[in-house]
Amino acid sequence: MMSRPWIARAFLSRPERLLPTSALGIALLAYLALPVYAGGPPLAFDTFNALQFFARLAPLVLGLGLTMFAGEFDLSIVGTYALGGMLAVQYGGTHWATGIAVALAAGAVIGAVQGALVARFNISSMPVTLGTYIALLGLTKSISGGLSKTYDNISVTLWVDRQIAVILSPRSLLALAAFVVIGLILGCSRWGREVRAIGSDRRASRVSGVRADRLLIGLFATSGVLAAASGALLNFSLGAANPDPGTQPLILAAVGALLGGVSLAGGRGTVVGLLAGALTVSLLAQIVTAAGLQGYLAQLFYAALLVLIVAVEAPGLRRAWTRTSVRLHSRRSAERTRPTDSRKVAS
Amino acid sequence: MSTVQTPLDTADTATGGPRRAAAWSDAVAALALVALLVLGAATHRFYTFDNLRAVLTSASLVGIAALGLTLIVIAGTSVSLAISETASVCAMVFLATQSWGLVPSLLVTLAAGAAITALQGLAVGYGEANPIVLSIAAGFALVGVATWVTGGTSVAPHGAGYIHLNATPGGIASSVYVLVAFTVLLELLLRRSGFGRTLYLTGANRRAATAAGLAVGRTITIAWLLAGALFAVAASFSGAFNTTANINLGGTLTFDAIAAVLAGGTPIAGGSGSAVRTLCGAVLIAALSDVLLLRGYSTGAQVMVKGLIVLAIVVVVHLRSRQGAR
Repeated sequence: MMSRPWIARAFLSRPERLLPTSALGIALLAYLALPVYAGGPPLAFDTFNALQFFARLAPLVLGLGLTMFAGEFDLSIVGTYALGGMLAVQYGGTHWATGIAVALAAGAVIGAVQGALVARFNISSMPVTLGTYIALLGLTKSISGGLSKTYDNISVTLWVDRQIAVILSPRSLLALAAFVVIGLILGCSRWGREVRAIGSDRRASRVSGVRADRLLIGLFATSGVLAAASGALLNFSLGAANPDPGTQPLILAAVGALLGGVSLAGGRGTVVGLLAGALTVSLLAQIVTAAGLQGYLAQLFYAALLVLIVAVEAPGLRRAWTRTSVRLHSRRSAERTRPTDSRKVAS
Repeated sequence: MSTVQTPLDTADTATGGPRRAAAWSDAVAALALVALLVLGAATHRFYTFDNLRAVLTSASLVGIAALGLTLIVIAGTSVSLAISETASVCAMVFLATQSWGLVPSLLVTLAAGAAITALQGLAVGYGEANPIVLSIAAGFALVGVATWVTGGTSVAPHGAGYIHLNATPGGIASSVYVLVAFTVLLELLLRRSGFGRTLYLTGANRRAATAAGLAVGRTITIAWLLAGALFAVAASFSGAFNTTANINLGGTLTFDAIAAVLAGGTPIAGGSGSAVRTLCGAVLIAALSDVLLLRGYSTGAQVMVKGLIVLAIVVVVHLRSRQGAR
């Protein structure tokens, strides 16, 4: 095994550490090189825009990532995102706080109901959240009559996008704050370990005294609240509510979470990793916009990254890789020492 | 509504799960159908030939794609999240090759769909790759390549061979005949062939199937290949109907197909399910939307009821089967 370069070993054994770091590192390097090939617009403006995109995407990455820690997959986030945004615009006309409160309450209730279903009945979360996603999309459409809804409270719109310290805004600060709060909660309590335990082996975790049901309900409720908050803040900033955001936010959130080193099988990942994944996707989006690159280049790049993730995680491919490297290694050592039967060594 | 005879039914399984699941979900599906028929009877103009034709036509495209997805689900390889993108690309291929004549362009389209999806099936079957992540990657790649090739424009056909796909023999859209024909063919394939038996066993327990020496990798690859071909069939009809195709043609096909499979009572864990079931799921959703439309509900309400039906069927099927398999 010593013949394998240490990078490959680290990559194959600890993808949850190396993947977010390397993905974010590459994205940052490309981003810092932006003035070189984009003809030098000021970086501060680009950074502000990247963080605005981050504010929209990161709560979804965090919510989806949290459920993925526990081995679940919350497809409904994009439905909650649409509904939360619509409710915030609908009820936030007179006072923004009412709109936000309604949106967050709806997100929490939807998440908790789904979490209860998944936990109590031990159902796979994907079909459940798919049904919810379709239902929420319909509900959002019927609230608005299938049309976009405008939000006239200009002062709120201006406030959520106000520049703070050149590159930040209240929206991006709130998104970062969500990561800090949830990261501290999971890092400084038993919950972080318990959530990962649920993800790696639910039955064993229940037996060892983890309250899996409560945690799952909490995770799904958190995921719902984050998605609703993201949608509400986005619509305040746009000054309008779109009843159907499409599936792009969901897919990008999944990419962010996977780049953050979370596995679909569950039981792996950290909040810091999710933050790195969300930042990576935001930076890449901004690079494509600022450098005037073709949109398809970003699509192909995401495809390549995901294929890499799949290749690293697929057990069958990993076994093939191990077999090949063992065979090569034994052949090399056979050449170095006296000639032996390489098949005997390899086996 | 006949009970699905999977190979597991004949075996004396300890849980009795699959057999009970089939029986119960059939009962639930029958109940839902009866409720729907009663509701239909109470709705003005539901039982007219024109309306039933509309229901079948609207169910046909999603139904054909859902039949393909059924194979992927039965194989225990979760779902593909790239159905819309695959269908868009296939429709573009179909319309771009119209100048060669209808049959060659259909064959090329089927080959394209089968190749795109079988490539993923290879990685899923032999490499045990994660189908969800892989199909998301495939979706990105398809959109990227298609945008690159076409420059982001729509494909317009040179030639009018595609008109034949819009034919309505006997007053019913030809896509409906194709849907029924493929349902029968797939049902026969699943129940009467070695491939079908291996597919159910692979989906029920992949490790056991591998240990038993079944050709798991090959079976999964073939399932994905056939699924891709069916996505291409749906795409051809969609392209012929719209007469232009771009990368957004697939629309919400991915989630509509998944919804149809789930509404048919097929558990997403794999190892059970049937073509007839998926057909019923697709027709059920289309008929429900139609009843709501006739009663004057908005599109939003129709979509919402669709979601709730999927949710209810998923929960009920799961509770009745008591498998708790994940």
